[in-house]
Order: sequence, then C-alpha cells, then structure tokens
Amino acid sequence: MLVYVLNRILQLIPVVFVLSVLVFGFVHALPGDVIDSLAGDEAAEDPEVRAALEKEFGLDQPIYVQYAVWAGKVLQGDFGKSLVTRRPVSVELLERIPATVYLAVVGIGLSMPIAVPLGTIAAIRRNTPTDYAAQISSLIGISIPEFWFAILCIMLFSLHLGWLPSSGYVSPLDDLGLSLTYLVLPALAIGFRQAAYTTRLTRSSMLDEVHKEYVDTARSLGLPERKIIYKYTLRNALIPTVTISGLQLANLLGGTVVLESIFSWPGIGLTIYQAIQLRDFPVIQAGVLVLGVMVVTINLLVDILYRFLNPRVGLS
Amino acid sequence: MSEEQKGSDAGRASLFSQSRREFLGTMAVAGGAATFGLPRMSRAQPKHGGTLRFATRVDGAGLDPHRNIVYYVSNPMAATTQGLLDIDQKMEIVPGVAEEWDISDDLKTYTFRLRKDVEFHNGRTVDAEAVKWNLERMMDPATSHAFTRASLEDVESIEVDDKYTVRVRLLQPSAVFLGNVIYYPVNLIAPDSVDQADTHPIGCGPFKFVSWKKYAKTELVRFENYFESDEFGNRLPYLDAIEFFPKREDQVRLTALRTGEVDLIENMAFSDVTNFKQSYASEFQTWDVPQVGSGHLNINVKSGPFAMDAPDGKLLRQAVAHAIDKEAIHQAVFEGLAYTLKGYYSEASPWHMPGIRNEKEYDPEKSRSILRKLNMENLPIAVVSRQAFEYMQNTAELVHSMLLDAGFKATNEVFDNPVLRQKYANNDWGIDSTATSYRFEPDGWYSRWILSTAAENELRVGYKNEQVDKLIIEARGTRDRNKRLELYTEVESLVNDDAALIYTHAVPLTSAGTRRLKGYQPAFAGPYSIAGGGIRTAHFEESA
Repeated sequence: MLVYVLNRILQLIPVVFVLSVLVFGFVHALPGDVIDSLAGDEAAEDPEVRAALEKEFGLDQPIYVQYAVWAGKVLQGDFGKSLVTRRPVSVELLERIPATVYLAVVGIGLSMPIAVPLGTIAAIRRNTPTDYAAQISSLIGISIPEFWFAILCIMLFSLHLGWLPSSGYVSPLDDLGLSLTYLVLPALAIGFRQAAYTTRLTRSSMLDEVHKEYVDTARSLGLPERKIIYKYTLRNALIPTVTISGLQLANLLGGTVVLESIFSWPGIGLTIYQAIQLRDFPVIQAGVLVLGVMVVTINLLVDILYRFLNPRVGLS
Repeated sequence: MSEEQKGSDAGRASLFSQSRREFLGTMAVAGGAATFGLPRMSRAQPKHGGTLRFATRVDGAGLDPHRNIVYYVSNPMAATTQGLLDIDQKMEIVPGVAEEWDISDDLKTYTFRLRKDVEFHNGRTVDAEAVKWNLERMMDPATSHAFTRASLEDVESIEVDDKYTVRVRLLQPSAVFLGNVIYYPVNLIAPDSVDQADTHPIGCGPFKFVSWKKYAKTELVRFENYFESDEFGNRLPYLDAIEFFPKREDQVRLTALRTGEVDLIENMAFSDVTNFKQSYASEFQTWDVPQVGSGHLNINVKSGPFAMDAPDGKLLRQAVAHAIDKEAIHQAVFEGLAYTLKGYYSEASPWHMPGIRNEKEYDPEKSRSILRKLNMENLPIAVVSRQAFEYMQNTAELVHSMLLDAGFKATNEVFDNPVLRQKYANNDWGIDSTATSYRFEPDGWYSRWILSTAAENELRVGYKNEQVDKLIIEARGTRDRNKRLELYTEVESLVNDDAALIYTHAVPLTSAGTRRLKGYQPAFAGPYSIAGGGIRTAHFEESA
C-alpha cells in the first residue's frame, strides 16, 4: 500500500509539471495587456511607466525565463506578489481556499448520506412508488439550475422564514455556530444537485450489480438479502459513485463562481475570475495550479479509497 | 492686501458663497444634518454609537490608497481617507485638511494653510511636511496609480513654508488645481506608516482601518480625533464602526437589506427601484443619486470613414448621431430614471449648461438619407462595450439595432477591459458604449478626455478640434466660474456638431437603507463620505 501511494505521488510530478507549463502558457496567452491594467487609463501609453512596471514584475524577460523564475520560486513555496494588491499570493489563496474547500466538502458531504441510501433503496425496490419518487426527485435536482435553486432557497429560508442569512461568510474558526448558519444555504444548493446525480448513479450501479452471478450465488447459498445488498452489492456499486463524487468535488473546488456570487462567498473561484478580469497573472497562475494539484490529489485519494471498498482492486 | 491675496479671496469667496448656500438647501432636503458653520436647527443631538453594516457593489482591489483607486462611491476605504480639500453634498469643493488657500495672480502658485488640529490615525500630526511627502509619493510612478498621478501632473514643486503652510508651484497656469487635491484621489496617509500601506493603511479620514477580508468584509472604527464637528460641537462621525460587505450582485445586496443582514446598500438594479420604493416605503428609505457618471458613445475617429480627416467623416458621424434614440435607451436601459444628456453635465449638476447647441435629434430617416447620398449604405461599424457594466452592454445592444435600422451594417460585441484596451490601441472598434465617473471639476473631463492631447482621447476616440482645444485651455486659466461655463458650453456645442462623442445619459444610482438610519445622504454624484454629511453624520435612531 505504501509503495503504491509513493508510486502514485511520484507520478504526480510530471502531471504537475505539465500543468504548470500549461497554466503559465495559457495565462500569458490571455488577450489584453497586464501593463494596461496596472498602469491605468491615463498612463498606459507612457513608455517610462510601462518600462518601470515591466521591470518591477519581471515582465521584461523572455517568457521561458519568466517561467523558470516563477517555477523556481513556486518550488520554494513563493507564489510571488499579486500585481493588484501587492500582497503575497499565498496569503490571498490561503484566505480563499479554506472557504471553498469548506463549502465543497460540506456540500458533497450533505449529498452522500441522502443519495446513497436513496439510490440503493430505489434500485432494490425497482418500479415501485419509492423508486419513482427517487427518480423524479433526482430528475428535478438535475434539471433545476443551481443558481435558481439557490435563489429559491434564499427567498424561502431568508426572506420569508427569516431562519438563515441570505449571503456572506464567517470562518468556522471565528465562530462555528454563526459560520454554519451562513453555510447552510450554499451547501444545500450544492448538495441538492450533487445528491440528484449521486442518487441516479447509485441506483444504476446497484441495478447492474444485483443482476450479476455472484448475487444469485449468494442467494442460492442462503445468505440473508440484507447482507448480500449491504456487504457485497453496495460496496461494488459504490466504486463508480465514489469516482464520480471525487470528480464532482474536484469540479466544485473551482466551479462554484456563480454560487459564490449569489452568496457573496469569498471562494477561490470568484478570486480567480476577478484575477482574470484584472489580468493579475500571479494570482491566476497560483490559483489554477493549486486547484490542479488539489484535483490530482483528490483522484489519488479516490484510487486509494477503491482499495478499501473492494480489496480485489489491484494497487500495482 | 497683495494682488495675490485679493485674487485668492475672490476665488475663495465665490467657492464658499455657493457651497454654503447650496449646502444649506441640501441639508434641509435631507431632513437636517450637522455641519460646521451652519446655524443651529431645533433637533435632538445625535449620539455616538452603533455599527453600520453597508453592502457595496465592489471591494477594494488593494489597500494602499495611493497605489489603488479608492473610488469614493463604493470603496470601503474611502471612509478612511481625507485630503487637502473635501467635497460637499453638491460636489462642490470645500475645506478639508487645508482651511484656507491663496492662488497667485499668475495661477501658478497655490498656498494652502492647514488646520492645526488634524491627526493621522496613528496620532501623528498632519502638517506641511506630511502633505509634501504625500504629494511627492503620489507623483512617483513607482508608488502611485496613474489616475492619482494625473491629478498632480501639473505640479512642478512642493515647498514647506512653515509647519502648517504648504506651497505648490505648477508648471503652467491653472485656475482649476483645487479640484486636483480633493481626497479623491489625492488622499493623505501617515508618512511613518508607509511600510504598512498595503496591509494596514493609516489615513486621516473619519474612520480608522481595522481589517480587510477581500470579497468578504472590511471593518472600520470611528476615529475619535477626527477634526469635523457638528453644530453642537460634537465630534464627527457619530457611528462607532462600519462593516462593509462587498456583494457584487444587485439582487443579493437588496435581499441582504430586506432580511436585515445589512443596514445600507448602494447601487440598486434600475429595474428594482420603482417597485421597491412603492412596496417597501414603510420599512426602507432610498436616496437617488442623479449622476454617478455620464454615459456616452465614443466613435473611433482616428482612421477609416469616420475619421476627423476623412472627407465625409463628419457627415457620417452625424448620421450615427441621428440614428440614436436616447429616449428609447432612457426607458429600456435606465427604466426612465436617468437624465438624457446633451453635454457632460446633467440638470442635477451645478455645472449644467442649458445653452449647449447642436445636439442631433433622433431621425433615422436623416441617417439613411446621408448614407444614400454618400452611397455608403451598409457601411460596417463595430459596436463594442465593457463586460463589467450591464448598462453599457444594454445600451450597446440598443445602439446596435438602431444603427441597423438606420442602414449601417453594425455588429455588437462585449469585451472585458484589457481586451477592449487592446482593441482601442489597435483601432479595432467603431462605436464604444461607455461611461465615465462624475467629474466635480469640469477640467477633469475636458482636459483629460476631449483635449486632443489628452492620453485617453489619443488612445480611444482621437478627436481633434483646434477651436475646442483653445477653449479648454482658456477655461483652465479662467477664474470666473460663469465665464468658464460659457467656454465649456461652446466646447460642448462644437463636440456635438463634430459628433465624435455622443452624450447619452447621466448614469443614476439609488441607495437604500433601513429607516433606523438617520442623517445619511450621499452626495448627488454618489460619494458616501462628504463634508458635514454622508457617513460622517449618519447615526441610528436608537442613539438619537
């Protein structure tokens, strides 16, 4: 197991290297000149101002030199300074990433305990009212746009009932109770949609599994149905569910810009979006790179989780 | 009395007589407010206390108020800043850190005498040395934003006469320099705090910085030694603290107000304003800002058929102007809330010029007839607009269809700012639906946008008219306000005739707040921290 994990970590090195090159290349290929943004409207054409800014941020060097300097610093944990705030990028990211991870993990965490049992029950009771109810509710969850569901939640729970704040963020480290009140609505908006996907996936995986020969064999041996379902079938059926949930979690880390806007949630997605608009290259580069590393790490964790779900999965 | 002194007194008297009179009127409308020098009004003394929760559309990009633009309408940091001079509710120039000033006869030397009771938030006195250090830092490209630097581009030198007197010498005569030392953008920070300017700036405004969590929250607390007082002698501001919550989406801010999560919001969606006023008048109050900026259509006249030197350029530009239905934009984009413009300043502004001529009336048939006459039907023209502002995009969509209707082969595209600037530089655009923030000093508009040598004009429109240039420069050297208004009226009439830039609407803004909030009114162009008003006199009913 340890060898497998170390091996997978080593495999990450070329992935992260290629990712860093792509990120750096794409960011510098963005249309629009960062010096225009930095210099401002009235001085963008002033050669002296442009030269000073290019020198200050190393933009006067060839692109490969810029990459080498940047990569070298990143390896030492230095992502540089934001062109806009002049603060270290690591500080900018450390303020944002926890908020995003907090939201994404709780969102997915809310969905799993609902979706897995619901999908399992729907598969076991196929073509019964329970199955239809599960399918219809999951279809609704997939069909309703996340932002619209979020607005409905705000209208109901904030405006009409007054139970929860409509937007904002409080760190759980500052005040856990208050933080949770701010978390509920965005996590619900994420969790509802994720639960819908996961319910459908679990149901179809379970249906595949329950028709396999080993299930018939188990039944012929007289094993209790509950044991067959929960000990054998569900564990196998959960492999695609875990895979997809891992990918969904990775997707949520950078893909909640709209929800972050609606709930004024200061996450990494919104930060990268704003940085793109301002052409704040160091923040874009570092943000995308860190998200990329988080995605490959999540994939690694998912692979390791397979082993626990099904010991027959090879780790070679 | 020296010639210099006489000149300065005349200028100052003119400034004060107007601002004081208008100030009184404004404050009466606002329900009465505290300000220095005003007669006592029979009302209860507001008490200090309370924390205001204020949701704004934007957050600051960074903290250093010299490197970043601290936009005085919505940037939380604007409440921490103060400058040599201040603005009042009518956007008129009034004393700030400087209580008096003289202007030399040749308009090249400005001498400011500072108040002796002004402190930075760290306790250091705001003296002439500190002012000199600040102005020099703002003139240095390495430590300042270009917009701020442009305010001081005419400065030749800054001298300290004595501890509380600072003399600014200009490179060329200017009667308009006072407008360049207002707290926006020329604000003062403590020289001994420069190392922390990016993390914990120390200003001398009514509120002190406490913390900033980007896109989440900015916390400020009352500066107990701020120099302004109300008519009872109580120090301003009244509020103990302000918490700013940036919420980008209009509906999100409005919902936060309705749920009681915040006490004050700025920038409501135009589509919400009328209904909100009707439906929630008992719970919330609103403040209309008639002109936070001016919307205009820029035409690229640097090259191509619309160019200033193209044989039929002027006629073609006029064809564009006749195609624009401002009333339709007024209703569809601004929900009937905006003033239509025929010059930069709306009827709400003290700089409004009723005598402006040559506005092109909406007459698409005239546009078509010009195109037919020139045999230029289906002339291609690319309408562009900026992504960040919805009203610019919506205006561009309407302009696009109006131009199609008038016989142009128009296209319409939206870009983010860096891309749009690249398009300006490459001359790859036709008509730009854009806007600029309100200029309390008209020279800030005419010299920086209309003058042929202005950087922004050179980058974008490329407008050149020698007569216009001459008038703008003459106005810059003219003390008399009425004479300047005449000169600018002539400028606008020529601009309208040339039709390189078509004014459309004053961009309005509506703020809303809980009825518990008293004594608050933003300036008529939107700033929320103003002399003797705005956030400085805001207080809660419970503390009254």
